[in-house]
Amino acid sequence: MNNLLPYQDSILITCTIAAVALPLLAALVNFCLPVKSKVAGWVSALAILGSCVLAAKVFAGIWNNHDIHTQQVWFTIGSTKVFAGILLNNLSVLLLLLVSVIALPVHIYSTAYMKHDDRYSRYFTYLSFFCFSMLALVVVDSLVLFYAFWELVGFSSYLLIGFWFTRDKAVQANKKAFIINRIGDIGLLSAIIILFTQYHTFDIVTLFAEKGLISQSVVNNDLWIAPTGTLPVIWQYIACAGIFMAVAAKSAQFPLHTWLPDAMEGPTSVSALIHAATMVAAGVFLLGRVYPMFTQTELTALACIGCFTAFMAATIALTQNDLKRILAYSTISQLGFMILAMGVGAYSSSLFHLATHAFFKCLLFLVAGIVIHQMQHIKDDNNLDIDPQDISLMGGLRKRLPLTFITAVIAGLALIGLPLTSGYLSKDGILIQAFEWSDGKSIWFKIIPLTALLTSWLTAFYVVRLIVKVFFGEFRLLNIVPNIKEHITDGGWQYKLPLILLAVCCLFPLFSINPLSYEHAWLFNGLNISRLTKFESIYNLIIPVAVNVVSLGVMFFAFTIYSKPKTALFPQTGLFYQLSYNQWYFDAIYNRIIIKPILLLCRACFRFDRRIIDGFIHLLAHTSGYIAKLAMWTDRNIVDGFLHLMASIVQSIGNFARKFQNGKVQYYLFSMLLIVLALFILKILI
Amino acid sequence: MITLTDFMIVSAVLFCTGLYMIVSKQNAIQILIGIELILNAAILNMVAFGKYDRVNNGGQIFALFAIVLAAATTAVALAIILNVYRKYKTIDPGRIDKLRDE
Repeated sequence: MNNLLPYQDSILITCTIAAVALPLLAALVNFCLPVKSKVAGWVSALAILGSCVLAAKVFAGIWNNHDIHTQQVWFTIGSTKVFAGILLNNLSVLLLLLVSVIALPVHIYSTAYMKHDDRYSRYFTYLSFFCFSMLALVVVDSLVLFYAFWELVGFSSYLLIGFWFTRDKAVQANKKAFIINRIGDIGLLSAIIILFTQYHTFDIVTLFAEKGLISQSVVNNDLWIAPTGTLPVIWQYIACAGIFMAVAAKSAQFPLHTWLPDAMEGPTSVSALIHAATMVAAGVFLLGRVYPMFTQTELTALACIGCFTAFMAATIALTQNDLKRILAYSTISQLGFMILAMGVGAYSSSLFHLATHAFFKCLLFLVAGIVIHQMQHIKDDNNLDIDPQDISLMGGLRKRLPLTFITAVIAGLALIGLPLTSGYLSKDGILIQAFEWSDGKSIWFKIIPLTALLTSWLTAFYVVRLIVKVFFGEFRLLNIVPNIKEHITDGGWQYKLPLILLAVCCLFPLFSINPLSYEHAWLFNGLNISRLTKFESIYNLIIPVAVNVVSLGVMFFAFTIYSKPKTALFPQTGLFYQLSYNQWYFDAIYNRIIIKPILLLCRACFRFDRRIIDGFIHLLAHTSGYIAKLAMWTDRNIVDGFLHLMASIVQSIGNFARKFQNGKVQYYLFSMLLIVLALFILKILI
Repeated sequence: MITLTDFMIVSAVLFCTGLYMIVSKQNAIQILIGIELILNAAILNMVAFGKYDRVNNGGQIFALFAIVLAAATTAVALAIILNVYRKYKTIDPGRIDKLRDE
């Protein structure tokens, strides 16, 4: 089939396949290397560099040009042919490039970060395997293949969360992540099955293209009518709910978000790549792929969920003390923004935010990695019993880690969404479009954009709190343990290069020439499916000004309260503080409502199994044992006894008869005499 | 007065003695003697019952024949025993077992 394509296209497809296959190759090579081999890091990094270059080439060829879709028959069941192939459009090449570009600095960073780990090459095996799964996920054109790579992404995430599997918390965390992702996978699988039942195809293009099957089907009179068949409308809802479940599990949306903060037990570089930038974006990507499926009502529900998640996670991030946990909740919050944007129809803004968020969140995690690494060194050098991730022990690190500090500030500003950063472009796009969306609807719909607005102010607060607590003031650990040796630095070039690379990507020029208007961003325009000319609403002026002025205020407020040495500002017993500090009690609630009943049920089943089923089987066993013993006794004593009796009778008769045949003439004569005598005696008697 | 019954008793004693010898002795010649004793018991019976045939004296004559035949058979038997002895170096009939079906 490739031969029919123009030469240029077949080159691009080859590049895509190579870009996807290189990390797999690296994973295989690393898998064969010895566990401690230091070559592994460079194998993986080179592979991802190759992927990156190829992805850039593909990106340049496809972006705003024309889509490429090529497929071949994969297998045939009956008359149904299942195709597998590659779909390259703006969305997939964007993700292809994004994933490889984010992965490259993370790989470089990891070579230094994991240097002393005992399972160095295993780490890179998993990391390359993840990159392969993720790159394949974004380019495949069949829902079945999509599902397969979706699973592989989840699996490699599982491996990496539990990379330090000797820690109990890591094991718990990867189990939790895996189970929650599984719930989402069930949703995706059922959605795929329903779609296949309705449309008889797995092909994403046939289903979701502009004139695809989905756009031709309507919901009418409780029936879901498509060119290929008709189903009750409930199935459409179930399919959408399934997709939503998958999205919620992968992108950590309420109510399936609880795994992401725990997933921070993995190495920090993994958190940066997988749990901040790429894998969690897979859910948003899925939404982007199947976007035409959702009806207006379902999109509104999506917006509500996204909005709630964003707000909830932001409030939780306000009070956490674990550095990575704050970033995790911040990730959840930003993912909530993306889902919200999808819900309000800001398709391109959502993906734009995905791209910008990937850079600055990855950068923040790498910064966190450096800080934690240095704290760990202090801890190890001085034999202290401290949590290296606790921000209440840090402070004043800006002089010790100057580059880390600068990049952290850039990433933080991007996360807050101040002008001149990439975050400003994407986040304000979402907010403006959310306000435009709520126009002309009832007053209740205003809640969503307003909450989003509030959330972005909260974001400003927690980011400043984080940066101030880590980098400003004085080193609080010195207050607790005065005489410690410390010689902490930014680290070697493997640390510095990724930071600089990502920090540059957090600034506006990469995305837009005009630093103040998201509508001029090339990424935004490239993804705009509707291509409607946005009317110049008043929001375009008000929202950015409102957001940024208040954000600046909040930042100043946060800065002043946290840069003071004494930090008992808020009552730590208040209801809201407790709610936030305990992460809205989600884990506790899930424990009580879901996990405990399930464990109880399991124990009950176990007992039922033990007592009743096993008991019944044991009873059967004992009964048949006794029956067998009885049968044995009968056999031995009665059947055998009878036979032995017969045998001994015959034997004794034989022995008796044998005596007369001993070959002695005299004896014969004697016998004869006896018989004659006996006859005579008998004759006399009778 | 010697009555018939006395002859009968003597004859019966002779017969039993002969029979006992045949059954119990381990010497072929003694067995032969036993046979002779039985024969003589029979002959004695014939002679004793001969008083009922005083005209022809059939009993006495038959007894004579029997004696002659007995002598002949004894001669043959002795010859056999002699040959048996030559072959087996024994005349114990219990140990002469080559005629038996193997």
